[in-house]
Amino acid sequence: MSGDDKTEGPPIKPEDAPDSIYGPDGQPRFFTEPGMDRFVAVVMNLAQEIWVQEERLMALEGEDTDPETRDAKLKAFIDRVFQPIREPDA
Amino acid sequence: MTPTLQHAMKPELTVEEAARGRFVSGIRSLILNDLAADMRAGYEKRAAPAFRREHGRTPETSREAHLALRGDPAFNIYSAMRVQAQKMVWASVADIVERDLDRMEAEAAKVADAPGSLTLDPSLDVPRNVDAIDVHLMPGSYTRGADTLEAGAVYDQGLAVFSMGLMGANLDDIGLSMARYVQGKYPDFKPRDILDTGCTIGHNTLPWKQAYPDARVEAIDAAPGGLRYASARAKMQGQEVHFRQMSADALDYPDESFDLVWSSMFLHELSKKTRAKAFAEAYRVLRPGGLMLHMELPPNDQMDAFDGFYLDWDSYYNSEPFYKGYRDESPPELCARAGFAEDDYIQFVVPSIGIYGEQAVADTIAAEEGEAVGQETTGRLAEGVMWFGFGAWKS
Repeated sequence: MSGDDKTEGPPIKPEDAPDSIYGPDGQPRFFTEPGMDRFVAVVMNLAQEIWVQEERLMALEGEDTDPETRDAKLKAFIDRVFQPIREPDA
Repeated sequence: MTPTLQHAMKPELTVEEAARGRFVSGIRSLILNDLAADMRAGYEKRAAPAFRREHGRTPETSREAHLALRGDPAFNIYSAMRVQAQKMVWASVADIVERDLDRMEAEAAKVADAPGSLTLDPSLDVPRNVDAIDVHLMPGSYTRGADTLEAGAVYDQGLAVFSMGLMGANLDDIGLSMARYVQGKYPDFKPRDILDTGCTIGHNTLPWKQAYPDARVEAIDAAPGGLRYASARAKMQGQEVHFRQMSADALDYPDESFDLVWSSMFLHELSKKTRAKAFAEAYRVLRPGGLMLHMELPPNDQMDAFDGFYLDWDSYYNSEPFYKGYRDESPPELCARAGFAEDDYIQFVVPSIGIYGEQAVADTIAAEEGEAVGQETTGRLAEGVMWFGFGAWKS
């Protein structure tokens, strides 16, 4: 195998990445308050769980939704939940 | 939105599993279309003007656009959500693959005798860029589950969620669009031997066999599990392809043994040194009159600062460490350094055949002037995506 691709060595990061863009755990860091990066993930997970329950309900209630209607409903759900994080006047 | 796999290894999903995957496709669509537009707005309204105040000029490179955007609220939201959505892609398929492995093995066994072959090389030292990092945040990378079907299944099912339908029902839109373009643009080109390098699960290999059914098609990758899956997948779809475990920078093929050497979304996963070797190997195994063709992200020197950074984002935050280094290289120079004559270089932008349709591809072929790199469409997985191809003829 080529000399620079051995299976042992330091973690591979882009060569020009400033250290400051990662936290002490090596994970990307965006918000000034690092807890926010994790909190965003929690909100997304929660929204996913709610959507899963929504589809379960549709199935239990015998609602025979065609794929287009269901995808439109999903898009409306996501747009509604995440509206507050949109850029004003974008 | 999330396509259903088109072969017998596709899983039977519970209501919850299907909903989970669909949500991830949906939230990715919000991020890659709407939040991407918000990030551009934030760049124009805040980040670029702030950079201009400090430096007396607007950002000129992808790197400067990146530094200008750091800390901007629209960048923060886009980025934090994209990272989490990427993790959710793989999480949404992990349990499905695990419970389904035995059934997939049984399905693969049923087609074992179909035309095509698989040759693994246990002595191959799998390169570090393939297994020492979780490439695009995929846990266990390409060697997850060793030579079981796990890595291939995670990739196939994950790509279906990831692609939001933009890579076609069979995840082969890149190969279909490019093969159609080559067929139309070069009608006298009739490759007898075709090689796909870095084929993963062979999803963009199959379109070449469909375009040139009489050709012998070989496809290589360094990771064994994905190749086993690729071989079963090709056989299930009735396509005769010969898969071999091999590294693109050390091809075990004689000189001048292929007419087409192809890769898709592969070069950006190699270090600069390995990439140069892969180009030299492609040149070596091509016959005179043969074509080397790569589908890749467009290079930074053909894009402006913001749109260049938009693609480079993955290098820093999506565990694609070689992505920016690749995009900073010049495609014509890469070809020239491998031995191709300058005049034999080609590049083009082809509309996605799945999104724009056959006529759009035909129009591109017929056009005198090739389509330039579209700043917001070429290589960007979002509504209206077009694919960038480049390579060279061997004279």
